Amino acid sequence: MAQSGKGRLNYRCPSCFMRDLDIDMFYDKDKNEYYCIRCQYRGGEDDVLAKNELARFRYGAMMRRFTDFEDFSGREDGKA
Amino acid sequence: MEQFIVNIIHRPEMVPEYAEKVTGQGKAEDIGRKALLTESLDIFKTQQQIAHQNGLKTTIQMTYASLFNAEAVALAKEHHEKYGDEIGLSLLGLPCEQFREKYKTKDFCIWMFSMEDKKAIVRDVFEKFHDAFGFYPESTGSYYMDAELINFVKAEYPSVKCAVATCWEEGPKAYHTCNNSWYTLMDGGPWAPWIPSKQNTHAPAANQAEDSGIVAIPHLSRDLLACYDGNGSNFGTHPQNVLRGMIYDTSTWEYPYLYNLIDQYRHLAKFNNGYAYNMMFVGPGWMNKMGRWEAPYELLKKSYEDGCAYYGKLKKEGKLTDMTMSEFADFYRQKKTYTEPECALWRDILYGSDKQLFWYCDPYKRVCVNMDQGGAIVDLRPYAAKLEWPVGIGTKHVQDASYPFLIQEKYRAGYFTHYAGEGTIRSAKVCHNGEEVDLCLCRTHAHFAQNGGERVLTLDPVDIEFSDVTVKIQTRIAFPEGTGQIRIERNVLSMSDPAAEVTINEYMVACYGTTEYPEDMTGLTLTVSAGEKSETIPYEYKCREASADGADSVSCTLPPIKTKVTMTCQGADKTGYVREGYAFSPMFTLGYTGKLHDKEAFVTWLNLERAD
Repeated sequence: MAQSGKGRLNYRCPSCFMRDLDIDMFYDKDKNEYYCIRCQYRGGEDDVLAKNELARFRYGAMMRRFTDFEDFSGREDGKA
Repeated sequence: MEQFIVNIIHRPEMVPEYAEKVTGQGKAEDIGRKALLTESLDIFKTQQQIAHQNGLKTTIQMTYASLFNAEAVALAKEHHEKYGDEIGLSLLGLPCEQFREKYKTKDFCIWMFSMEDKKAIVRDVFEKFHDAFGFYPESTGSYYMDAELINFVKAEYPSVKCAVATCWEEGPKAYHTCNNSWYTLMDGGPWAPWIPSKQNTHAPAANQAEDSGIVAIPHLSRDLLACYDGNGSNFGTHPQNVLRGMIYDTSTWEYPYLYNLIDQYRHLAKFNNGYAYNMMFVGPGWMNKMGRWEAPYELLKKSYEDGCAYYGKLKKEGKLTDMTMSEFADFYRQKKTYTEPECALWRDILYGSDKQLFWYCDPYKRVCVNMDQGGAIVDLRPYAAKLEWPVGIGTKHVQDASYPFLIQEKYRAGYFTHYAGEGTIRSAKVCHNGEEVDLCLCRTHAHFAQNGGERVLTLDPVDIEFSDVTVKIQTRIAFPEGTGQIRIERNVLSMSDPAAEVTINEYMVACYGTTEYPEDMTGLTLTVSAGEKSETIPYEYKCREASADGADSVSCTLPPIKTKVTMTCQGADKTGYVREGYAFSPMFTLGYTGKLHDKEAFVTWLNLERAD
């Protein structure tokens, strides 16, 4: 088995990202997968991208454009 | 008229942080690679072009490495002439073959060198700058500049009037995010420009005698809520940091958060006599042709173009003034007095919660009030002590440049603890017939006012529901200018049973530290004073308590941070108390209890001063 390297893009571990850790992943070309050397995450590029989307769950107002910074009359997510 | 200022800073960094690691993966380290040098200069040119296209002037902070590059020097001169850009000198970007050969080290953070080396490096780079340009710079900076370094620079090169001197809440959280490998430990400073004191960079000067002679600006303008809880390097006026945080739509490459962040900073003019500030400083490593993590170069570049375009748009609309760093220093000294505080009523603009914080900073303290916890103080830095804290090799703090806290809810638990013990917080409990409610559990919002010499935060009233009576309480927190005091008023607006009586317990749980881990509390002294009498507890982890009816004051002296914190009270049937902690809860508590009836108020003061 040959040594691992970096992939086309330099993906971070999505599992570690969700615990506020930026860890570069390495690419295993034999298995066509990225893997984290700190935690146990491994996955193909599609899975990495899907998990990166998942990591955004906490950003409830990520796409909202605020126009008032002291008005709390309505929840930003539209919920009551 | 409100004025929103932006400083846009670029540095031609011939060996950009990250770039060697990223582009050189699989190769032996070679910081003199021609491809690396060429790309670095290209990025600088691109950044300059983007700013100028949007009608924005920049401050070019030459790095030591770039002073050896004739093209970089020529570009700086040309852009100074053509666009009015300032040519400054950064103490970032030291690494290059010449530096390593001369100083025989891979260290690159100026504040971590020994004082002897700091002096040698400063003289070296400033003289090299003079050789290249024929004058000494008016602005300099690094991620952090310790007081001894600033004092030396100002003494040797009095032309310097402005410096990038800290990066807000870049500390243990950033360290963790970088897999415990990024040693920028500098929590506890101002988030907006200030005049550093000669004693400690973080603590603003209270008067001319303390004035270090420079105006300091923060490295980036950072989200005052997101950065306090999470990795600071995701949430600032650094477009690629926003990408680092994955705060964008991957299909459209849109990131409204960046504009919300800029706009909320603009809004801070309301709390600061019509003035607000932004700083954008993107190192060239963030516009690497290889991309940065999952963001391709095209997205990195687009985000920088969009950031500059937004500032450019605001400028065209008359809502923004672009300045160079030295221009800003002159403006700031005209605009601000030593004791005028910096205030920021800040809302969550990212997570979709209704959380709201209030940050206050003056020469005597930095305070964070959390409206989501009923107006509890969740962070407190006693600048009144002006703590001398040398950093770098040969000092007690080689890397740790943070200003110590008395309260830090993330590192010392705050309201919620596991199983046992207490966390640091300044709040109040309301009690009635054996029931107890902490205001930390009363979520609310606040409104800011400036009344004469006081900044006042008035919180929306909250209801405390006991089984047989409901009490409506309103909190007001006042910050008298030019003092180390904070006044907290609890006003009973109504009671469902007007004849009811409740007990209030105003308390502060505190300790000291700069990191997540506990410090030795031995040597602290707790005191209750009432008239001629006083009772003292030397801290020995024995879980002791002392109290006095009608106490004049309760206090704690903390020799390790040369700080004394005192609480005093104006209220009915008041009793002051102090509590020692124990090994599993290495905290101390200062507090007052008293009675409250309908339409009554209970008022306490917190006072911070230097202990010696």
